[in-house]
Amino acid sequence: MTPERVAGLVRRWAGLYTRRLPEPVARRRREELAADVHDQIAHERAAGTGERRIALRILSRLLRGVAADAAWQARRRSYRSVLRVGVGVGVVLPAPLVAMVFTDQVRWSLSDFALAGVLVATIGAAFELALQNAGSLRLAAALGALGVLAGLAGEADDAPGLVLLGLLLIAGGCAIGVRRLRTSR
Amino acid sequence: MRLVPRRKSGSLLPLEREILEAALGLRAAGRADFHGFGLARTLGERRGSRSLTAHGTLYKALGRLEELGLLTSRWEDAPPGGRPRRRLYELTGEGARAARPPASPVLRARTEPA
Repeated sequence: MTPERVAGLVRRWAGLYTRRLPEPVARRRREELAADVHDQIAHERAAGTGERRIALRILSRLLRGVAADAAWQARRRSYRSVLRVGVGVGVVLPAPLVAMVFTDQVRWSLSDFALAGVLVATIGAAFELALQNAGSLRLAAALGALGVLAGLAGEADDAPGLVLLGLLLIAGGCAIGVRRLRTSR
Repeated sequence: MRLVPRRKSGSLLPLEREILEAALGLRAAGRADFHGFGLARTLGERRGSRSLTAHGTLYKALGRLEELGLLTSRWEDAPPGGRPRRRLYELTGEGARAARPPASPVLRARTEPA
């Protein structure tokens, strides 16, 4: 994994979530991101950071911003996607809370709930994008690739949450890919 | 029926307030404008963290501050060395006012005319 490869991933991801937006809005976001990633690579190299570490840091910024990217895109297209993700988080998060009432085996802290909320929102945002682009093999490949990278980054940094997110993204990518193959027959 | 309450008009999220305060600090240091990655670094330094704000979070917040009239932006004219051009942001007068903490009651009493 090199910084340039991750920069390419950022570029493709931005191309994907901006592709149905008005061209001036989409172009501005893509160009801002290109400058940002270029500046980060130059800065980190000047500071003597290793190539793999630079790539991981850019990948981390990309992955942590996926939910915000989807929310930003949805705000320009529709509020409904954001509502659905919000409702999804609201439905999933009370489950461990209820479990804590009935069993001592489940003990979640406030930070556990916050992390789970971010993970569920990120997964929901990715699936909202998938719904809007249903049947796209490129999207399936992009989600799968993001999932693999999230898994690798999580494994390298010993972050099980990121690994779980990666597995779910891979599952989502596979589901979209299978759906596309079925509809093309 | 609205499931998610609309954010109170003009209210700022913590990150948006942080950006305005950082922009005010940069202006005080003689740097009138700033760009995305530079801002992410400044925010990281102010927090004492090596982790930079995520792309999506940062540019969404910048866009909203611009919509609120607290920042303005323009493209860099001629980037040197063939690097991609940067979007340069600048604090507006209203943005500077929003970034300043409200004066304490004692200070207000001292500065207000009798």
